[in-house]
Parts: sequence; C-alpha cells; structure tokens
Amino acid sequence: MASVDIQDVRKFYGQLETIKGVSVDVPDGAFVVLVGPSGCGKSTLLRMIAGLEDISGGTISIGGRVINDVEPKHRDIAMVFQNYALYPHMTIAENMGFSLRLAKRPKDEIDQRVREAAGILGLADYLDRYPRQLSGGQRQRVAMGRAIVRNPQVFLFDEPLSNLDAKLRVQMRAELKDIHARLKTTTVYVTHDQIEAMTMADRIVVMRDGIVEQVGAPLDLYDRPNNTFVASFIGSPSMNLLQGVNADGGKSVRIEAGAELPFEGAPPTVGKVVYGIRPEHLHLADDGQGFETVATNVEPTGSETLVQVRLGDQIVSALLRDRVNIRAGDTLRLGVQADKAHLFDAETSQRLG
Amino acid sequence: MLQQKRWRFAILAILPTLAIFAWVRMYPIVETLRLSLHQWNILSKNKPFVGLANFRELFHDQLFLNALTNTSIIAFGVVILTVPTAMVIAGLIHHRTHSRFSGFYETSVFIPHVVSLVPAAMAWKWIFDAKLGPLNALLEFFGIPAQAWLFDPVLSVICIIILCSWQALGYAVLIYLVGFKNLPVSLFEAAKLDGASGVQRFWFVSVPMLKPITLYVSVVTLISAFNVYAQAFVLASDSQGAPGRQVRVLVLDMLENSFRNYRVGYAASEAVVLLSIVLVLTLIQFGLLREKGRK
Repeated sequence: MASVDIQDVRKFYGQLETIKGVSVDVPDGAFVVLVGPSGCGKSTLLRMIAGLEDISGGTISIGGRVINDVEPKHRDIAMVFQNYALYPHMTIAENMGFSLRLAKRPKDEIDQRVREAAGILGLADYLDRYPRQLSGGQRQRVAMGRAIVRNPQVFLFDEPLSNLDAKLRVQMRAELKDIHARLKTTTVYVTHDQIEAMTMADRIVVMRDGIVEQVGAPLDLYDRPNNTFVASFIGSPSMNLLQGVNADGGKSVRIEAGAELPFEGAPPTVGKVVYGIRPEHLHLADDGQGFETVATNVEPTGSETLVQVRLGDQIVSALLRDRVNIRAGDTLRLGVQADKAHLFDAETSQRLG
Repeated sequence: MLQQKRWRFAILAILPTLAIFAWVRMYPIVETLRLSLHQWNILSKNKPFVGLANFRELFHDQLFLNALTNTSIIAFGVVILTVPTAMVIAGLIHHRTHSRFSGFYETSVFIPHVVSLVPAAMAWKWIFDAKLGPLNALLEFFGIPAQAWLFDPVLSVICIIILCSWQALGYAVLIYLVGFKNLPVSLFEAAKLDGASGVQRFWFVSVPMLKPITLYVSVVTLISAFNVYAQAFVLASDSQGAPGRQVRVLVLDMLENSFRNYRVGYAASEAVVLLSIVLVLTLIQFGLLREKGRK
C-alpha cells in the first residue's frame, strides 16, 4: 500500500490543455473517487497515474516516489478497465496469472496466487473457462482478480461498473467495497455516476473541465457544496437552484415568481443570489405557510414521490417521502426546511457562508 | 402480393449479374469438368468420351507430378515466408502510426502487388542474375561465393518463392493492418500494465487475436500461389533458354498440353486437379473459421 500524491498536474494535447493544474492527495489505504461529467478529465488523470498517458506538467508520486518517467509496469499499480480488457484467447486462470507469468514467477506460485484471488472473488469454479463463457458480472470479477493477483500498491478503476445492468451494479458496488475493506489497498476510482461515488468513496474529488471543483467526504460534499456545479452534481435528484434576490439582507430570498424562501446559516447578502434547496428538503405545507404552486409532473416510485412544480419560469422538484395523492395539474403548497437551504453568489456561483 | 412483387423485382435486379457470373465463371468450370472426361485436340469436331482415362494417365505422367510437386513447394513456401513477414511489417507500421513516414511505408509495401507481373519478374531476374546481378555482387563483397540462383534446381525454386512473396506481401500487409486497427487498444494497455514488452504484446496479444486474419491471409496467399505461372516462366529458363522449364509449374504444364500438344481434355483434367486442391483448401478455411465462430 502507498499514498498517491498528485501535484499541479497538467495535460496538453497540442495546444489544448485538458488537465489544468490538478492537485489531489490520496492517503494510504484510502478509497478515492474521481467524479465528474464526460470530458472533465477524470479518466485522463487516472491514465496519467497508470502511465498510459504522458504527464505534461506537475508530478505524480506513489509512496513518495515520483513516477512521472517510470514505465507503467514498474509503477506497482493495477488497473481495471471499463470494458474489462480480458484476453479473450486465454482462460480465466491464464488471464489472472498473465502478469506473474511475464514476471517469470514459478508456476506453483502463480497457481497459488490465482487460486487465492479466485477464492476471494468466488471465481474458483470458473478458472478453466474463457471470458466469453462468463456473464458481465463474472468478467468484472476476473478483471478485479487480475489486479488482486499482482498485489499492487494502488488499484486504479476506470468506470468498471458502467457496462453492467442496474441491479448488478448495486451488487458489484457492495462487493468492491467489501474487497477494499479486506485488502485495504489504496484505490483511485473513476466514475461519472455520483451515486457510485457517494456510496463507495472515503473521499470524493469532483472535477469539471480539467480542474478540481471540490474534494471532500461524500456527506461533506452533499451538505456543503462549494459551488452550484458541485451542488447540482452531487445528490439525486439534483438540487434545485433558483435565481432570486435578497433585497434587504434579511433571512429570505425572493424568487422571480414572487415566492419568498427562507434560509438560515448563511450571512445576509444583499443583491442577486442563487437559492439552493434539495428536493428532499421540500415538504407539503399547511395553509398560510410555504408557497402555492401547481404540479406539472408527478413520478411516484412507491417509497417516495417526485413532484415537479413551476415557480415562474423555473422548475422545482420536491421529493415527498409520504404517500401523497397528487396528480399533474393539482394545486399544492410546498414549504422548505430553512436550515437545509444553501446560498450561492449569482455571479461567481460560489457558496455564501 | 407485395411480397411476391418484391421477390420478382429482386430476381430481375440480380439476373444480369447472375447471367454474367454464370457465363464467365460457372460455364468455364463446368466446361472444364466436361472436357476432362473427353479427348479433344482443339480442332476436331469429335470429342470422344474417355471417362477417367485422363486422370489415370496424369498420375503416371512424370512432367505433371514434377509440376505438382514444384507448385506445392512454391505455394507453401510463399505462405511460410509471406504470412509471418506480413504480420510483423503490419505490426511495425501500425504501432508506428505517429511516424510521418507511415503512409510511405504502407504505399511502398503495397506497390509490388499492383506492379505488372512480367516487368517485376524481369527486374528480379536481373537481381538474381549469376554474372550481372547485384545479389551476387553483394555476396562477393562480403566474401561469399556467387551462386547460380536461376540455374540451380533448389535455388531457382527459392527465387520463385521470394518473387511470389514479394508480390503477395502488399495485400497481406494491408489485410493485417485492418486486423491490427480493429484490435481493442485496451487489451494492449492491459498487457502493458501487466508488464509485457512490445515484443511480448505482439506475441501474446496480437498473434492470437489475429488468428482469423491469419487464416484468411494464408488461404488466399496459398490459392494465388498455386496459380503461379508468369514468375516461373520469366525467372526459370533452362540452360537452353527455354522459359519456365527449369521449374515446371502446373499452369505451364496445362498450357503446354493444351496449345503445344493439343491435348485439351488432358489439360482440363490437370485443371480439375488444381481446382480440387484449391477447393479443399477453401473448405478447410471455412471449416476453421466456422469452428472459431461457434466457440
């Protein structure tokens, strides 16, 4: 195991700068998730750690050793690819033991380590099969096994669950977490799925356009997003971000359509602000409280109901935990939990308070 | 009703192509099969049916057996030389695609495939020439005695194999390049992280992954090499200067029997033997490919 230290790393493709001075510290044994929309540079950063992309500027260290110019095979890392990248002409045992075979390890040792990894992953019965004879989830486990067999200092995962169906993804998420808890190997995991990030990470790095927007524990990011991008990216359904004005520096924001939404905590700011409230922090309000609106769309899922309403020309989502009988077109009153509201500067999009 | 109309239109649409195919491809094959069972001297109106007599005679004909042996050696020699060379060259070109010369490499390898056979063979005849050729000059420069490349029975076969491989290489490289371009990059990246060197990635990933391409290239090369004629005709004259006599090949034997000895039925039976060999090789290819697909 080792820590990974990324310092002011940059990546240029010709004149185009895709990673713009990223610094991230991955502590020894941590599970860090790089998350962000497509094209934000998270996979490129991971590939730079792996040695599959050159580093244009800055340094990457593993266990205190700068590895900028070190060959991938000498970085002591193992990577799991999005499409698994299993060798189709080799059996599962051969796939898993390939790196050891190249390292000219004795056959007995290769067999033993492959069996150990297969035991951890429940693949012992499949060692003589070929990848094409396995299901998606099993292939995913083989890709994991190939990484485990090497006993590396760092695991790198590049969107490893995105080719699986929703149910299997949930199952594999738990398995990956369990394996990490057992092996305690430093892990850098890339995904565009914020739920994957929230559920698996010790620490999340949110990226956009080649820069780091925020680094923190999952619930810190959820509770105190630094800016509107993180606020809207973390959490599902995403946070309502409403344009409004705090006219008098008081504890409420007037939204364009006339609703007055209260907040607590943030210092009074006079002028235009963005009022953020998560859908789960809205509730049905009694007469005389909250604001009156009309439901435009209702999505009941059984355990909860997502109601979309219109405030002026802005759409607001409310996630109601109680079983409610609302249909599109119905008039209803919604209230907000003032202590859960977030305020952002309208111009810089940065958090206020 | 609509279905029937569609069928009628489809048949009408492909009929001209089918007719041309039947006339230029199927008819000659059927006619060759028919002729192989007859005796005919090109001019006579009589074509007496002789059954399998032509085939029985073939397998006692030393000239034919000699031609069959030579052709088989050349065909398999060309495959053995061309396939690995093409794979290595295609691999080098593919993995050097960032080089500004990659287009030049691709073109220069492919040019021999489109060059006219006879002028190319003439150029190689000069290269192999015992007295004036640059090959012997080079050998002598390094102190190796000059060789009678085109007159030695073994060396002349090797010369034909080299010439045929040189011509077949371009097409094989082109097909391999397509194969290389279709291999998933992530496999090579995974192998890189597993610790494989460039040569190991080629051996452990590219070679097994390109198996279907190798099958195709080897069978196509083998079939075209079985039809070797012009190369032997130009390169391998005997000591009297008679073209193609030094290394007798099947097509030359057929031509001589048809148009010099006026034994068209007999030559047709040779063509049938050649067709059978090519057919068996094609069936082997289909069998292997189908087996691969079933896995």
